[in-house]
Amino acid sequence: MADTAKAPRKRLAIITTVWKYLSHAQHMGDRFLVGYPWEGRWHRPEMDVVALYVDQKPEGDQSQIRADEFKFKVYPTIAETLLCGTERLAVDGVLIIGEHGDYPVNAKGQVLYPRYEFFEQCVDVFDKDGRGVPVFNDKHLSYSFEKASQMVAAGKRLKFPMLAGSSLPVTWRLPSVEVPLDATIEEALMVGVGSSDPMDFHALEAMQCMLERRRNGETGVKAVQLIQGPAVWQAGKDGRWSRRLLEAALARSTSMSGNATKDGRPQDLTHSGELEELVKDPAAYLIEYNDGLRATLLMINGAVSDFTFACRVRGMPQILSTQFLLPALPNVAYSACLMNKVEEMIATGKAPYPVERTQLVSGILDFCLESKVQANQRLDTPQLNVKYRAPRASQFGGAPT
Amino acid sequence: MPESHKISRRAILAAAPAAAALTVAGCDKSAAQPTKRPRIAALVTEVRRLSHGEVILDRFLEGFGWESGHHRPQVDLVSLYVDQFPESDLSRERAARFPQLKIYPSVEKALTCGGDKLAVDGVMIIGEHGKYPVNEKGQTLYPRFEFFQQAYEVFSKSGRVVPVFNDKHLSWNWEQCSKMNGLARCIGVPMMAGSSLPITWRIPPVEMPDEAVVEEAMSVGNGNPDSYDFHLLETIQCFVERRKDGETGVVKLQALRGDAVWRALEAGNWAAGGWDPQLFEACLCRSHMLAPAREGFNHVYPTPADMARMVKDPVAYRFEYVDGLKATMLLLNGLVGDITFAARIKGQSEPLSTLMYIGGGNETQPFNFDALVWNIEQFFLTGKAPYPFERTLLTSGLVAAGIDSLDRKGEWIDTPHLEISYSPTRHSTFRRT
Repeated sequence: MADTAKAPRKRLAIITTVWKYLSHAQHMGDRFLVGYPWEGRWHRPEMDVVALYVDQKPEGDQSQIRADEFKFKVYPTIAETLLCGTERLAVDGVLIIGEHGDYPVNAKGQVLYPRYEFFEQCVDVFDKDGRGVPVFNDKHLSYSFEKASQMVAAGKRLKFPMLAGSSLPVTWRLPSVEVPLDATIEEALMVGVGSSDPMDFHALEAMQCMLERRRNGETGVKAVQLIQGPAVWQAGKDGRWSRRLLEAALARSTSMSGNATKDGRPQDLTHSGELEELVKDPAAYLIEYNDGLRATLLMINGAVSDFTFACRVRGMPQILSTQFLLPALPNVAYSACLMNKVEEMIATGKAPYPVERTQLVSGILDFCLESKVQANQRLDTPQLNVKYRAPRASQFGGAPT
Repeated sequence: MPESHKISRRAILAAAPAAAALTVAGCDKSAAQPTKRPRIAALVTEVRRLSHGEVILDRFLEGFGWESGHHRPQVDLVSLYVDQFPESDLSRERAARFPQLKIYPSVEKALTCGGDKLAVDGVMIIGEHGKYPVNEKGQTLYPRFEFFQQAYEVFSKSGRVVPVFNDKHLSWNWEQCSKMNGLARCIGVPMMAGSSLPITWRIPPVEMPDEAVVEEAMSVGNGNPDSYDFHLLETIQCFVERRKDGETGVVKLQALRGDAVWRALEAGNWAAGGWDPQLFEACLCRSHMLAPAREGFNHVYPTPADMARMVKDPVAYRFEYVDGLKATMLLLNGLVGDITFAARIKGQSEPLSTLMYIGGGNETQPFNFDALVWNIEQFFLTGKAPYPFERTLLTSGLVAAGIDSLDRKGEWIDTPHLEISYSPTRHSTFRRT
C-alpha cells in the first residue's frame, strides 16, 4: 500500500449538533483525530478533519479546543464548512452527527434533531458545485420518514454514497452469529431498552440488519402497531409475539435486574413471573413485512439493560439468538466499529451497506410512534415500500471475512 | 460394585473410570440406575452475593442462560460444606429454598450426606473469597488443599472416587498443588480445575491455529498478584498449550514490580529484558476498558509517560518454556479493566490477539460462570475433564513462582518442577455458541 503513488489525504467535514465529552460527535469525531483500536493495532485513519460546524455550544463544549489542537476550523455555517471558506466544495466526505443537544420534542416523543436540515444544506452546496461527496448520517436519517426519503432521493440524484444508522448492526455480537444469506426467517423478536425515540431506533435497526438477509431480500413493511402496558403481555399470550423467542433473547442478556441485583442469582425471567413485575411500562412494536414476516421489538425497561435478538430460521434446529454488545463507557468501543465503516466509505467511495436499511427503519419508527399517539392502532404503511438487498458479507465486529 | 469403581492403580491408568462410577453412586442401592441424576457436593469457603461460591452454586440451583434458552443442569446439588458464614451469607437461604440441598458441618459429612460412606457423585471445591490469613508474601491461604485432602480421605475410606472440580488454582503453595495432583493420581480421581477465562467469550472469537509455532505470548489485565495473575496465566496457557508439539512446561520465571516494569517496557524486546511491543499494543487495542490517558477524550492510546502516571503498582511475570517460547503477564491496574491476549506466531505478520470477555461494567451477572458451570456439569455427567487438569497444575505453579520472585525482588526463579508436559484438547473449548 505504501508503494502506491501518494494520494492526497482525504479531507473531512463534521456537521454536528454539539461536541462535548461523550457526545456522539466527540467519541465518533475523535476517532479521526486520535485514531482508534482496530484489529489489534492503534489505527490512524489516512484522512483529516478540516472543518467543523457545531449547532449548539453548551457548557463543556470542546469544539474550539479540538479545532485548536488538531488544526482545523470551526465555521459559522454549514455551507462555509463544506467550502472551507472558498467558493468550491473543499472536502471529500461529510459526517452529519445530529445526536445530543437541546432540541424540541414533538407530540410523538420524537426529538427534532435537525439532521434533515443539515443534510439539505450540504446538498445545496453539492448542487451548486455539481458534485457530491460521501455523507455519513449518524442514527436515523430523520424523525420523519418523508424527510428521510427525500435525503435518500437526493443522494441518488447526485450520485454520492450515503451511509447511515446505528452502531448496533456493526458492533460485536455474543455469540458471533449471522443470519445465513437467503434464509427463510419464520419469526423474529428483538429486546431493547431505553427511551423513545433514541433507543428504540437502535433496537429496530439491529433487528433489521438481521432480517434484511432473508430470502428474496427486503421488501418493505405493510403495517405497524405499537402497543403498551398490559396489552403487551396479552399480545404474547395471544401469540402475536413468541414467548419462546423472548426466552432465547433473554438467555443472551447479561444484565437482568430483580433477584440478580438483589442477591446475585441467575434467573429465568421469561417463566418465573418476575418479568411482568419488573417492567412497569412495556411496549411492543409489532411489524408486518410485505412478504409476510412478522417481527416484534419488545422494549422492556426495568428487566434488562442490553439489546438481544432471536429468530427462527427454517431448517435450523436451534433458535438463532445473540446479544448486540455495547461496550461500556467511556471507551464505547462500538463507535470504533461504526467509524471504521465511515472511513471505508470515504476511502473507497462505496457504502459498505445500503442506506435504505436506515431509511426503512426511520420509517418503521416514525409510524410506530404515530400508532402510539393514535391510540395504539394498527397502521397500514404503504409508504414503507422500501426494497433493497443486504450486502453478502457480514459487516459486524469480528465477523468472519 | 464393578472393579473399575474401586481404587486401584489400574483405575488411575484407565482414561475415565468415574464415568461409569457416576451411574452407581448415591446413598443407597436404588441409586444404581443409569438414568439417575448425579448428586453433587460443594465445599465452599463462603456464599455471599458474587462470591465464587454464590455464582457457581446458584447456577446449579437456578440454571442460567445458555445458547437459546434457560439451561437447567442435569445434576443435583445435594450437599454443602460452608466454612464461613458472614452476615451476608446466602447458603442458608438457598438450603431453605431448595429442599434437596443440605448444609453439613464438615467436609466428611457433606461427602457422606451424613452417613459413613461417600454418598455423592461429584465434588466441587470452591475456595475463593472469605476471611483467611494472609502470609508474609501477600498470599491468602484459602484452604483448597485442606478441603481436597479431607475429600481424599473419604474416597479412601469408601474405596470409591468421584470427579472433583477445583475452582481457580489448586493452592497458594506449590507443595500442596503437587500433593493434590499426586493424591488424585494415586487413587484415580478425575480432576478438573481452573479459571473461567479460558472458556469465556473471546472478542474476536479466535483460537490458536493448529500446529502454530508460537514465539512469544502475552496477557495484559487488571487485578493483583495471587488472584488475577492466575486468570491471566490461564489465559496465556489455554492458547499456548495448543502450539506445535504441545505443552512442555516452564523452565524459569521472573516477576517485576514498579519501575522495573517500565524499564522492561522501554527495553523493547525479550532479549533486552522486555517483550515484543507489538504484542503489548495488540493487547491494549483489544481492550474495551482502556482508561483514557487524557481528560476530555474517551479513548486514546497512552504514552509510556501516561502509563507510568496511571498505573501505581505495575506487575509483570516473564517466563520461558522448555521449548523456548517466551511469555509475559502484565497486571496494569489503572490502565486496563479487562483481560486481553496476544501472541506472535511464526510466519504470520500480525499477532493473534483477542479480548477474553468477562464483562464491560454494564452486567448484573458474572456470565463467565455460565460457561464454567456448563463445563463442570459436563465433567460430572461424563467423568471426563473437558480440558486438561495439567494446565491448572502448571498455572498454579506459575502463580507460586511469581509470588516467590516478587518476594525476592525480581530474581529469576528456576522452575524444574514446572516442566509439565501435556496435550491440549483437540477441539476449542471456549464459548462461541
